[in-house]
Amino acid sequence: MSEGRARRFLGSPVTGAVCRLLLGGVFIYSDSHKLLRPDEFARLIYGYRILHPDLVNLAGIILPWVELVPGLFLVIGLLPRSSAALLGGLLALFIGAAALVMMRGLSIHCGCFLPILSDRVGWPLILRNSVLLLLALQIIIWPSSFLPRRRAPGTALPR
Amino acid sequence: MARSLTSNHRPRRLPRADLGQSTLGGVLVGAFLLLAAGAVLGLAANHFSSRRIPIFPKPGKDQQPVALPLPPGVRSMSPMQAYAAFRAGTALFLDGRAPEEYAAGHIPGALNLPAADFEAVYPDLAERVDAAQSLVAYCQSIECGEGVEIADRVRELVPKPIFVFELGWEAWQASGFPARKGEQP
Repeated sequence: MSEGRARRFLGSPVTGAVCRLLLGGVFIYSDSHKLLRPDEFARLIYGYRILHPDLVNLAGIILPWVELVPGLFLVIGLLPRSSAALLGGLLALFIGAAALVMMRGLSIHCGCFLPILSDRVGWPLILRNSVLLLLALQIIIWPSSFLPRRRAPGTALPR
Repeated sequence: MARSLTSNHRPRRLPRADLGQSTLGGVLVGAFLLLAAGAVLGLAANHFSSRRIPIFPKPGKDQQPVALPLPPGVRSMSPMQAYAAFRAGTALFLDGRAPEEYAAGHIPGALNLPAADFEAVYPDLAERVDAAQSLVAYCQSIECGEGVEIADRVRELVPKPIFVFELGWEAWQASGFPARKGEQP
């Protein structure tokens, strides 16, 4: 594929919509099990041995919602760049945390999709999060939205 | 395609309302607002949840690192307290993990009571559980929930002191305490 065609493909509204729905959908799905189980999620966060124990519960309480809100905004097409930036930042943190866990030789569940598909932290998890990070970058660079177009001065509302 | 009703020039694509998404500052402010909204919603949801946990845990005198709620009547036990109970021989340990994990290594004397097969396995162990002075349930690590689950279920069946060794097998092993392999307690 030539560079121009690649750019057109990456910048097309369809690609943007697919990226938004995929990224938002993954976070909404993964949060559906965590939202009402802050205790279980806090245990998993503690397992990473990264956060100070005093902050583990706070993270278990707010992290699922901090993921859910931008996920929903992405799916409906509101504030796509801000939502993707927030989720991209979280994904970068998750990748760093997984790398740290692997360097320390810990064998823990990632807590990504409670209670099923809760893989152990490893290269597949880092790869998956990297792909999601690329989706976030696509949305930041070429945002697409369902918002109505602006009305130009002196014209009627577009139909 | 968008068409103008008042002029006959060639229609052009109009920019979307971007809500500040066209500038870096706008994007960052939006991200911060989303973060704040998520945090507020999370705190509110936890406040009204039946599984509410303390926002900032206050570790007890046993220095348990995460003050997560336990079922009523079930108390937490640190590794040193668990080892003291093991040495004293006053407590019966219950291992809530799967049989394969139990066989790979467990606390000597602990009975395997997999949370997933509780109803099938418990009747075989009921006599020994009834005879114990106190009970200590555990599973793999702080991440797992099987220890708490079996403690809660046993508590409903036998009225005696019951504890959860929340840091579990990994902490026991890391502390260099005695261990046993195989299917036998």
